[in-house]
Amino acid sequence: MTIRTLDYRKMVRAMALAFASLGLLASAGCATVRPEQRAILADPTMQFDAQSAEQAALDHALDNREGSTGGGSVRGGGCGCN
Amino acid sequence: MCGRPLSGRFFAVALCLNVLFGAATARAQVASLDVGSALFLEPSKRSGLTVVNPSAALSVAPNNWLTVRGNYEADIVSGASEALKGGRLSNVDIVTSATHFADTRHAVTGGFTVTRATTHLSGSYTYGTEHDYHSNSLTLSAGTDFLQKNTQIELSYGRGFDKVCTSAYAATDAPSSRLALDNSNGCFTNDKKRAARDISLNNFQVGWTQTWTPEFATQMVLSTALQHGFLGNPYRSVVIAPAGDQALENHPENRARGALGLRGKYYVRSLQTAFTAGGRLYRDTWDIFGQTYELDAERYMLPWLRILARARYYTQSKALFWSDDYTGGEPATGPRGQYWSGDRELSPLSNYLLGGRVLVAREGRPGARVLGLFLSLSGAVGVDFLKTNLRDFTLGGRRPDDTIALLWSLGLRGEL
Repeated sequence: MTIRTLDYRKMVRAMALAFASLGLLASAGCATVRPEQRAILADPTMQFDAQSAEQAALDHALDNREGSTGGGSVRGGGCGCN
Repeated sequence: MCGRPLSGRFFAVALCLNVLFGAATARAQVASLDVGSALFLEPSKRSGLTVVNPSAALSVAPNNWLTVRGNYEADIVSGASEALKGGRLSNVDIVTSATHFADTRHAVTGGFTVTRATTHLSGSYTYGTEHDYHSNSLTLSAGTDFLQKNTQIELSYGRGFDKVCTSAYAATDAPSSRLALDNSNGCFTNDKKRAARDISLNNFQVGWTQTWTPEFATQMVLSTALQHGFLGNPYRSVVIAPAGDQALENHPENRARGALGLRGKYYVRSLQTAFTAGGRLYRDTWDIFGQTYELDAERYMLPWLRILARARYYTQSKALFWSDDYTGGEPATGPRGQYWSGDRELSPLSNYLLGGRVLVAREGRPGARVLGLFLSLSGAVGVDFLKTNLRDFTLGGRRPDDTIALLWSLGLRGEL
């Protein structure tokens, strides 16, 4: 029996296109939020992975009950004031 | 400097200690302590599973560019599971093959983060041990932000060197002649009936967080993983012949996995609520295709009290070699070639999750710490309900009843 191999070329092409499109939008100034406008973004409710310990426990349980893994939240968002 | 005459040496030693520790203490900014526990309950009349997951993490920032941390967690697992998997055509007594088990995994992590103006670099090492499994993993991650801090990129790489205990068979033995473990006695010793087999893990991840407006941010995460080694369950046998012959579960030794997650957060001012919507696509070389869709909303009910509600739906296709029964003929329930599995997570399934969390947070004021000790203190209680629909998995033709699970979590976090 042959185990399927991922079509890496298609995957990489799609990823590159997605990243490039969003990157162009971002760098074109469409996504300029000034520091004084970040009050809401700095709130814990607007941060990805804000409760990482609780999320890790949930992910751990789901990883053991599903055949897939990965693609979860990483640290990011917030006020960018550091 | 540290090798001078006595008086000078004493002074030099004091100076060395002061440089090494005193300065750091004087500049110490904050330490945070997280303690928590999760409880996973999966009730069943015949099998069932209980996992208690206590954890404690201490993080110390001796200055404004370095953070060091240590973490301990345990998985205390007990329950019963069917050690033998047969399908609709298997003439075996699956029910009485359920065996009770209990084990505890301990995992210790040490790590650091170096932070500069727009970049950070983190490294960590984790050692995990239980009676039948040892793991060593190294993780390195780096992140930066640019475009006026509206764009954040995070890269990480993890390398794992694990060992799993199995029965002692030779690589040249036919898979159909290999036996499953019935207990973990003798694992990782010189016991000739046991063997330790390697599992090599490589994980890569790229995360991109982007703020678009003062109320809207998105995150895209691409994960890939390469696994090599013994990827089955050393305790599980599968019925592979009409006469009831059984053999140790036999999975391919290589698996490449990829997942792409995209989620967005939007704050609705009129509702004073932050909404998160996300999706994830997953694909691997065992032909599993998974889709995840999730939605949550979080709102402050009081300045110190916030509530989150969440919903999640997941569905996946089966692995290429999955069959509920390996004893019959093609195509419905026949053999799937050289591999056989009793792992329900490789069967076609879907599940949904409903849950929420209540979080209470108090901030101290200058000169008035919370409970006289903490700069800030928060506590969270969460509960989630998970219902799984196994579309093609049976135990000797009987549908399993352990498809409902409850996950409780409790966490306390204090900054000193």
